Amino acid sequence: MQYVIIGNGVAGTHAAESIRRLDPQGVITLIAAEKDAPYCRPMISMLLEGSAGAHQLPIRGPDFYDTFKIDALGGDRVRAIDVAARAVTTAAGRRFSFDRLLIASGADPRPIKARGLHLENLFFMRTAAHVMAMLRVLPACRRALVLGGGLVGFKAAYALLRRGLAVTLLIRSGHPLSMQVDREAGAMILAALKKKGLTVRVQAEVTAFEGGATVTRAQLSDGSEIPCDLVVIGKGVLPALDFVPREAIAVDLGVVVDQHLETSAAGIFAAGDAAEAYDIARKTRWVNAIWPEAVAQGRVAGMNMAGRPTPYKGSLGRNVIRIFDLDVMTGGLVNPPPDARYTVLQHHDRRRQRYRKLVFRYDRLVGMVLVNAIEQGGVLLSLIQGEIPLRVRREALMAPSFNFRQLLPATA
Amino acid sequence: MKRVVVHPERCVGCMQCMLACATAHSQSGVLFTAVRESPQPRPRVHVGVGLYGEGFPNRCRHCDPAPCQLACLPGAISRDSGTGTVLIDPERCINCASCAMACPFGVIRYHPEHHAPLGKTVAVKCDNCLARLRQGRIPACVEACKTGALTFEEADAALKRQTDAVARSVSRTAEEAPPAPGFALLTAARKSQLALKNP
Repeated sequence: MQYVIIGNGVAGTHAAESIRRLDPQGVITLIAAEKDAPYCRPMISMLLEGSAGAHQLPIRGPDFYDTFKIDALGGDRVRAIDVAARAVTTAAGRRFSFDRLLIASGADPRPIKARGLHLENLFFMRTAAHVMAMLRVLPACRRALVLGGGLVGFKAAYALLRRGLAVTLLIRSGHPLSMQVDREAGAMILAALKKKGLTVRVQAEVTAFEGGATVTRAQLSDGSEIPCDLVVIGKGVLPALDFVPREAIAVDLGVVVDQHLETSAAGIFAAGDAAEAYDIARKTRWVNAIWPEAVAQGRVAGMNMAGRPTPYKGSLGRNVIRIFDLDVMTGGLVNPPPDARYTVLQHHDRRRQRYRKLVFRYDRLVGMVLVNAIEQGGVLLSLIQGEIPLRVRREALMAPSFNFRQLLPATA
Repeated sequence: MKRVVVHPERCVGCMQCMLACATAHSQSGVLFTAVRESPQPRPRVHVGVGLYGEGFPNRCRHCDPAPCQLACLPGAISRDSGTGTVLIDPERCINCASCAMACPFGVIRYHPEHHAPLGKTVAVKCDNCLARLRQGRIPACVEACKTGALTFEEADAALKRQTDAVARSVSRTAEEAPPAPGFALLTAARKSQLALKNP
């Protein structure tokens, strides 16, 4: 059996491991655009912050590819998939036949439209190489501008602030992490960041970057300008799918997969940030470009590819972030549509800086936002993931003393 | 191989396991001095309160596969091959709380620890008292438990007892045997107190 895996991110890595465990003989070829060995992408912001070193990033040992007998090609990109002939061709002109193919190409940063994008010191923050490049120019930088209040922009702003730069965060919506948290938690996060010296501009966008060789200022849509010598663009990501033939493989935002993570073309699978699987909380297809789902999907896709039919229940958007003294954990449907099916419980304890919001669809938990007191968040998330009808009153889940015991039947 | 088995119906919520656990994982290992240590020793077993005031010693199940291990970003969580214990390496832990998001039982806490680099907040959870087992002692929580809510026994034996109990329960003459006299009474009293408070 010939397996080809596109991408050596965490989905591709786990898929290769799964395949090898079930199929000791098969030939596994892994084609990756990044030259580095598999590393932990969520940790690159810690590299920027200085709280983690480059040596902490690899998720597997240096002998990983040898141990698992994986033919790894770093620094090459897949150009095309020939679905009928069952082969892929790469930018370097190589061609690989496959019996089973995995598209785990991940996502690329969403480009922005503005003048002056050729200037130096404009960075995306997606790969370890991006951060290494930032670290090289960082000593000469004083004022950073971060575009985008999503997770990446937010982590970049936090890291640069910790590096001692003056940081301006530019957010198109009204508060940071608008995809992850509700307005109330967003305001708490915003206040915490401002207190630590971050300048935040909301509802504004950059129209042009100006400067000589390197950027010196940014022009905004409202006519004002911001002086800056380092810019991080964190406006989200898009699945990297330019090589996928859309007439042969169904693609929406990501590659559409069924419950075995197989695409519309038999024998071709997708996992991770490139895949669009069923979302448990939203009850529709959705790209949840997060690390734990990439792990889960990689494992399941690998098992299915190696001939062990394994269903994948569906993905769930979730995140946990620590910002100064705030711990924020979110999951599922956080801002439900105004609809009688949904019940929202929320409580904000301002003195203790605690906030808890739970969203229920009928008798099931479908979304949550926790600010501080996050230790029991995993229990709540497993209720969402399991789509478990609640036996206890909804209010019980709001109590700070809520714990696993309360889900067990009373003994009497 | 012996392992800790939890019998939730026998827990009265006295929290002695928590005290014993914190002491066992302190620097000195002695309660008298442990209370004055810095960082303050904290338990890795957590007695949660049920809806009727029942107790429950919530400790790490050492799941296989372990969701926390799969979720760990820096690869700090591993499994001890001999005992099946899931362990967190405090040196590698980056305190990102990804494991808190993954644990369906909510047993992981975050605080400084004397095993960890000085002043570093790390993820902490049950380690099955591996250090004590090496000395030929049983886990501290089991040693402290007075009601039999925590036992240390062969997994096969525990499973067989449960299987036998299920088999007995299908018999027409079988009576529901209370775990011990008093437990049912305790819960019934709590329930009625609660009912009086919230009519």
